[in-house]
Amino acid sequence: MGPLDDQVVRADSLTATSDGLDIAVYTHWYRALPLPSLAKVELTVDGTAVDLAVLSVTVNGHRYAFTELADRGDEYWFTTDPLVLHAPVETVPGREHRVQLLLGLSIPYILTGPDRVPLLAPSSTDKTLSAARPGASS
Amino acid sequence: MTDIAPGLPRLGTTLFSLTLEQRQPGRDLRSLIGEVAARDLGPGLEMVAFQSLRGWPHLDEAAAREVRGTIDDSGLTPSCLAVNLDLALYPGRLLSDDEAFEYIAVQLGGAAALGFPAVRVGIESGPPVLSRLLPLAEQLGVKIGVEIHAPMTIDAPPVAALKELFTRLDTEWLGFIPDFSASMQAVPSAVDDAHRSAGIAPELTALAKEVWGEPGPTMAKFPELERRAAELGATPPQIGNIKMIFTMHGRMAPERWADFFPHVIHVHGKFYGVADGEDQSIDYPAIGRVLREQGYTGFISSEYEAHVYTARHSAFDQVRAHHDMLKRLFEAERPVAAR
Repeated sequence: MGPLDDQVVRADSLTATSDGLDIAVYTHWYRALPLPSLAKVELTVDGTAVDLAVLSVTVNGHRYAFTELADRGDEYWFTTDPLVLHAPVETVPGREHRVQLLLGLSIPYILTGPDRVPLLAPSSTDKTLSAARPGASS
Repeated sequence: MTDIAPGLPRLGTTLFSLTLEQRQPGRDLRSLIGEVAARDLGPGLEMVAFQSLRGWPHLDEAAAREVRGTIDDSGLTPSCLAVNLDLALYPGRLLSDDEAFEYIAVQLGGAAALGFPAVRVGIESGPPVLSRLLPLAEQLGVKIGVEIHAPMTIDAPPVAALKELFTRLDTEWLGFIPDFSASMQAVPSAVDDAHRSAGIAPELTALAKEVWGEPGPTMAKFPELERRAAELGATPPQIGNIKMIFTMHGRMAPERWADFFPHVIHVHGKFYGVADGEDQSIDYPAIGRVLREQGYTGFISSEYEAHVYTARHSAFDQVRAHHDMLKRLFEAERPVAAR
């Protein structure tokens, strides 16, 4: 809930690459968070859920399997930088895709309840956008 | 700069107020700081390190020099650097006391390198970690303040434990950073915008405001709120959103701010909108009276936070209105010490 939620996936976020669909994602939290904070990513493209086991991520110029992020507590996703989700979805430049993304960020300094579990801050996206050619400027 | 008479609190701005402006195309740290200075929203400058400084908590010499140069060029005065203890950094466990100490110690060194005289930590930094950090704070010349933000109050057990610690250690290097969100008199009207865009019915927003305004501790109100909201057809995520109001906006009596003294090292002037020269949701005159009576001459960072609810207003304009309101308020009465 809030103005940043609508900016998680932007109009120019989709790129068609040779190995699938790249989705540039921007954080809805006000500060940089460590990579394990990407606690929940539920991504559906054109009605088909993307398995996290085949999802990879590029952040700070490094590409990781999504499952590796939980160990990368020494690296942060900066406030204004995109984090790119690489979804193995067949596409070509100019094709439209419906992208549904539930992004749950674990907020590591806000502990809730008697068990002191971190707050999970969700944002929800449902947009139909066109995939650009790699290297196309927005 | 917003000049204010000697013997009164000094004004300033935290870049957190500019959370939405930071995302605008072409914006960078230099442009935000430059506009704060150009609009006379100093002299104090605060920022959230993890929000504003790429690469934090790591800060090499070149980066430190560049940020310091940007602040120097602006003519603003570094007041406080907000740092974080990310206790739940890794899934399934919390950092140990040793890890927590190291996590803050690195950031304390960064704050010193940038010329900040104080850092803000959250309530998750408890007495064991603070006690261990004290010698380093003293050595670096950087005070550590624990922010007391809604839903915390001066009587909450973690806050009472800090008060006991600060009283026992009797040191100028550790203290409180009270935030005006702890003492609000109404739910801010910006909430209406957020609820409208989230599809929350006006009756639910009205219910939340009504229950919020009832006497009694916040947590004790949740069962009634959940029951009545469900009767009005609220979904679980909507109920979650409504409960956020209760944790973001506290109801501690403004007079109780006296109990944070003499351990106040910095103040967060949280606000959610100044209209016609007044803040409808926070009793600034009442808290301002306490600050004057206590002879507080440190900084109040104007901290506009309605950007979590709405993009309707310019934060720069809002901070300007906030400074004008504070200046009028504080100068209306001569400082107690000067009488």
